[in-house]
Amino acid sequence: MITVKRLYRPAIFASYGPYMIGLAIFLIVPPFLPMYVQSIITKVAVFAIFAMSLDLIMGYTGLLSLGHAAFFGVGGYMAAILIKNFEITNFWIVAPISIVVAALFAAVLGLIALRVTGIYFLLVTFALSMLLASIALKWNYVNGIYGMAGIMRPDLGLAGFRLNHIKFYYFVFLILILCYFLMYRVVNSPFGHALRGIRESESRMRALGYNTWLYKYITFIIAGLFAGVGGVLFTYQSGVIAPQHLGVTVSTLAMLICIIGGIGTLWGPFVGALVIILLEYFSSINAPERWPLILGGVFVIAVMFLKGGIAFHLKKLWNKMFLNGSFKG
Amino acid sequence: MELIILNVLNGVSFGAILFLLCSGLSLTFGVMGILNLSHGALYMVGAYVGWSIAVHQGLNFWLAVLAGGLVAGLLGLIMERGFFRHLHGMINEQVLLTFGFIYILTNLCLWIWGGVPKAPYTAPSFSGSFDIVGDWTYSKARLVVTGIGIVLAAVLWFFQEKTRIGAIIRAGMDNKEMTIGLGINYGLVATFVFILGCFIAGAAGVIGASLFGVTLDLGMSILLLALVVVVVGGKGSVQGALVGGILIGLIISFGKALFPQISTFLVYLVMIVILLIKPSGIMGKKVQDR
Repeated sequence: MITVKRLYRPAIFASYGPYMIGLAIFLIVPPFLPMYVQSIITKVAVFAIFAMSLDLIMGYTGLLSLGHAAFFGVGGYMAAILIKNFEITNFWIVAPISIVVAALFAAVLGLIALRVTGIYFLLVTFALSMLLASIALKWNYVNGIYGMAGIMRPDLGLAGFRLNHIKFYYFVFLILILCYFLMYRVVNSPFGHALRGIRESESRMRALGYNTWLYKYITFIIAGLFAGVGGVLFTYQSGVIAPQHLGVTVSTLAMLICIIGGIGTLWGPFVGALVIILLEYFSSINAPERWPLILGGVFVIAVMFLKGGIAFHLKKLWNKMFLNGSFKG
Repeated sequence: MELIILNVLNGVSFGAILFLLCSGLSLTFGVMGILNLSHGALYMVGAYVGWSIAVHQGLNFWLAVLAGGLVAGLLGLIMERGFFRHLHGMINEQVLLTFGFIYILTNLCLWIWGGVPKAPYTAPSFSGSFDIVGDWTYSKARLVVTGIGIVLAAVLWFFQEKTRIGAIIRAGMDNKEMTIGLGINYGLVATFVFILGCFIAGAAGVIGASLFGVTLDLGMSILLLALVVVVVGGKGSVQGALVGGILIGLIISFGKALFPQISTFLVYLVMIVILLIKPSGIMGKKVQDR
């Protein structure tokens, strides 16, 4: 009996099953979907990258940032500036520069924000992101309040190869997987375990001889870098970047995505992004006027009833279905 | 000289409104450790209710102030009893929950009052202007607002420093467990303070709307200023909210007159500088970080 069970439920499937199923769905299904749904799923992938980067500092390190959109927006603005003002179209030039600039911003703002802890960190990051938004709002070089619009899908520099809707989706999804893999390596390295130690008790980690400030600073920069990746892809995906993308609304949206999906797991934000973006899409069809009301309701429900997030419950369900399942996520 | 006097008066009257709004935010933040981001939305709801009563119905202005305060206070009661008491000390959840409230309240206001901004209005008894120096005049309504701010600052200061409830609040801020251990029903006092704060926010909304009108983005935009004021002045004290409110009011007023391009930028810059130099704020006592 037991051998039969093992045959049907091989250990590798029990531990990696959800990844396989998820990957299969998101690789196979999209070409059969209508074009606008394809662009919606592309948006999901973009916001998943951004929310994962927030999860790195919020879920793993325990730093509550209310200004993470700053790096998302900086990445997006940098890409838009390079494309529109410098007329550089090649993706392989635009993206690296924009991502590095976002990471540089994180390095500078991190020096300021990490001087304080706890609730004051929340407030400083918030103020810094609003500072950047207020600059973008008044700066004519980046079109002020209107933001920069009309950005086309990326030019990959390959002769005769243009990204259409579905190819662009695969492109973004590939980057999502790459980012996931890189962040997975970070959080499962000794460095990542030290981060979890800082989240649980910073004073104890300091007593153990860890330079906790440096750990937090490096994580802040890494998170800023990946937020920059999300920002660049967002600019390409939506074609628009505006001052509000630097501000507190986008930051809280990412926080919501993390909370709904489940903080402290990297794939949780992906599930959260899927839920939120799809909800936004259906609401925009049926009741566009009432979308903020629904979103607000989702905020309230997520906080009050979804302790641990969807990821936590999915994980529990999976491990229950496969008794010896060891899916950790 | 005239420019300076005008901007000082404008700044102080705007600061008075900010003070009204922030006294509640600062107290709930300091006393209960709750970061209520929907405080600005309560201000907006109060402003809309006040507009309905004072302009749409044409009733007495003070009745409108009372009604705006009561509606906001009622919403505060629901928030506190229904939600916040389950989320004690969970800053992350509080931020998200109250941000959700902003969306909900803003959209409900859009539903009820429509998307067209409401223009500023003047209560009949405050119309006209005062003579200040020689041929110099200044709007009476703005001076009344400043007066309300000063009176309420005095009342709240008296309440916090000289009454028994005020003593409990201060004791709870220093050491909550000890206060409860002494047999004081701290939860009840904290709830009362929260509702009082919401009431004042709603009333401030009515007063502020009479000078600046009401728009739907008010819940968000006034909140940003309120957070700056609380941080700059220091959380948990009436004096802090007053100093912060007046200071930010003056910065905005002078900033708009002298450097219109960077006035909002200046406000956030001040906030960051204060947070880095003295995180507890200008007037803040050393409060333990919760």
